[in-house]
Amino acid sequence: MNWEPLATWLETTWLHDLMVNIFWMFPAGETLHFIGITILFGALLVVDFRVIGLVKFINMNEVMKFIPVAIIAFGLNLLTGIAFLAANPFRYFPNIAFQWKMALIIIAGINALWFWFGEHKELKQLADGEDAPFRAKVIAVISLVIWVLVIICGRMIPYVEY
Amino acid sequence: MGFLLWYENGLVGVFIRESLWGYPIVLSSHAVGMATVMGVAVALNMRVLGFAKGLSIQAFDKLFLVGWLGFIINLVSGIILFAGNASVYTFQWTFQLKIGAIIVGGILMKVVMNAVRENKPESTQKLLAGISMACWMIGMITGRLMAYIG
Repeated sequence: MNWEPLATWLETTWLHDLMVNIFWMFPAGETLHFIGITILFGALLVVDFRVIGLVKFINMNEVMKFIPVAIIAFGLNLLTGIAFLAANPFRYFPNIAFQWKMALIIIAGINALWFWFGEHKELKQLADGEDAPFRAKVIAVISLVIWVLVIICGRMIPYVEY
Repeated sequence: MGFLLWYENGLVGVFIRESLWGYPIVLSSHAVGMATVMGVAVALNMRVLGFAKGLSIQAFDKLFLVGWLGFIINLVSGIILFAGNASVYTFQWTFQLKIGAIIVGGILMKVVMNAVRENKPESTQKLLAGISMACWMIGMITGRLMAYIG
């Protein structure tokens, strides 16, 4: 994929100037990015562990309230992530950990859509303590594994540059 | 100081500074553990603060097991990372605040759970949960900022 025109354009944006010229923008963005992943992951732990069955005796309708929380946290990380990318596009695009991270997020997104459109309605009917269908459990496990890998890949970005 | 230098120059310190993949792998574990333990803390505190009220608090007893797993990952990875630069980290105010905030935030988790079980007034429960949430956030913010200031 030819990312260079996009990277060149990103360096002409006001966001790039903002991130590069104000010294505290990058650390502040990173801190928000960490807060975002924590909230996102925390919300997913509640949802996924209910579906997997580790915490079966919680009401599924209440659990589902954590999905918008996860989406908002993801939005925060998308925005801060775009800001990092605008700051250093030539650093991120060719970075192998960054590429894996983006691919994994896309897979996580497809997995989440499958959960929402394929399983969510049926899951909401579950009584407290009732087991989720096997398909839904598979989605929940995939979700947790992928997000752990996303965190690892993100954290690896500075160490796989050359 | 003698202990810090001894630890820093010992096996763990040498490993974390000199092995090619040691530092990134331990640092990644620290990030995964952080998201796990803080994720559970944030979810519980949100619940006590009034979000998703139908969620039984008892459900969190099991989620706490997951939270503890994250905490242990971070205790171990944190002790290893500390060896990388112990004589500097110890005197960074960001590090001191981070450790203090995590200890207070962690103890408050137990206090919050007890307050809920003993049916303390809702305002007390919420105040405790709010302080706990703030402590965890301070722990995370100062942890991230250790790389920049202090």
